[in-house]
Amino acid sequence: MNQMPQGREVVVAGVGLHPFGRFPEKDLATLAMEAVLPALEDAGVRWKDIPVAYFGHVYYQGMSVGETALGKLGLTGIPIINVENACSSGSTAFWQAYWGVTTGLYDLALAFGAEKVPRGPVTVTAEDSPDRFIGGDHMMAGYALRMRRYMEDTGAPASALAQVAVKARQNGTLNPFAHRNTTYTIEEVLESRPIADPLTLYQCCPTSEGAAAAVLCARESLGRYGIDESRTVGIAAAVLSSGSYNGRGSDHSAFSPYRTEPGAIQAYEMAGMGPEDVDLVQVHDAATIGELQQLESLHLTPFGEAWRATTEGRTSLTGDIPTNTDGGLLAMGHPFGATGIRQVHETVTQLRGEAGQRQVPGATVGLAQCSGAGDVTTVHILKR
Amino acid sequence: MPESIDPQRLRLADDERASGVLLGVRCLDCGVTVFGPCAFCQSCTSDRLEPVELEGTGVLYSYTVVRVPPAGWPGPVPYVLGQVELPEGPQVLAEVIDCEHDQLKIGMLVELALQAVASEGGTEEKLVYKWRPAHPDD
Ligand SMILES: [Zn+2]
Repeated sequence: MNQMPQGREVVVAGVGLHPFGRFPEKDLATLAMEAVLPALEDAGVRWKDIPVAYFGHVYYQGMSVGETALGKLGLTGIPIINVENACSSGSTAFWQAYWGVTTGLYDLALAFGAEKVPRGPVTVTAEDSPDRFIGGDHMMAGYALRMRRYMEDTGAPASALAQVAVKARQNGTLNPFAHRNTTYTIEEVLESRPIADPLTLYQCCPTSEGAAAAVLCARESLGRYGIDESRTVGIAAAVLSSGSYNGRGSDHSAFSPYRTEPGAIQAYEMAGMGPEDVDLVQVHDAATIGELQQLESLHLTPFGEAWRATTEGRTSLTGDIPTNTDGGLLAMGHPFGATGIRQVHETVTQLRGEAGQRQVPGATVGLAQCSGAGDVTTVHILKR
Repeated sequence: MPESIDPQRLRLADDERASGVLLGVRCLDCGVTVFGPCAFCQSCTSDRLEPVELEGTGVLYSYTVVRVPPAGWPGPVPYVLGQVELPEGPQVLAEVIDCEHDQLKIGMLVELALQAVASEGGTEEKLVYKWRPAHPDD
């Protein structure tokens, strides 16, 4: 569980994003390439200088898709690693890129992710797994179980959970890259099609297609590659963890809503910061309940109180815990391999002060948290 | 007679009736019990583990009525998914049967039930563990 000691200081030099949505005319490699090129341009880095690349994706679209995508940029013979870590695949690729650079193995690294998620409920296990018969292999049903228990334990009303989705959609309207760009009311959220009670359709993120990319560089090497330091954003912590015993001896990840907490504690320690230092946060809001429990796991609100922070407007763009400022999974949509790097893209954009209408004024520290099946969680902290 | 959906988690009785018991392991060092197999204790990593048969009753910790099922779900729709806490500690996720939706309640007592289930389009049946409301007075 312990991370390696921190080595060289690493920055995000550039980010790129392909809009999230449905793009039947583009294959996965094309989507990926259309995020990588803007990232290279944003960093001001030449393709021939990239020494390693990590590619996050989940659904099978042919073997070695990372190589196929980057092959369209030109063959340079570098190591390209295809990463699958469920919904955290992109943020895991970013984690690997960070550790590749901080340890001195590489000066630069490319982390990118892309996905074309099939429509319909998301399952985790293999097709012949017993869990398909037992009925528990249903991502949103897992969130529904957590939601009902949370409402019972905390007294949170259904309207408070719906408010998470309303806020996400409002932020999404300020983001041209979002899969969904219309708003709805609390009533419309609650009256939308029931998926797994008490979760309704508008409280579940859309499954999507899209891509995201980030170029990382050792701060001490920026000059060597002609990178403009003034637009870089430092990486204060990059933490990846998997499931640990949660007191339940569970057989399903839905049982551990607060699994992010150990990773959060590690990340704060690594950054030499606390939750009070965080100016904005991106969390894994695959369903509304996810956002609330992640905020609590990150110690940004006390346990059982994130719903109240939400109804009080504290998680909105003008609140003191601006959350999922780009619309999160609920408005952006969720192309698994891209999501974690999309969070980095938004955090970098905000910390550069380039987020336009959704800018959080004066933000200097941003946190990005991403969850995946297998109790995977990543917590990355960026600072300007 | 159909076989167990997962012999490492559900052992069927040797008789002709569809009865069985959930399996787990208990740690001899820290006392933690988990559902299903593991090589090392999930809590303390000890390898001093003993196989145990788990209680056939538990308490409903949470539940959901699933209205949009995952691909390949072989049962009726909607169906109830229950997260059940056993007296030994672990939680077991399975369908709750024989219960009206308006009778579902967090904290209610449930008991193990077995049902033969055929996969979608398949002919081979497996016995699957489920939960149903417990009636201690019966
Ligand atoms: Zn133990």
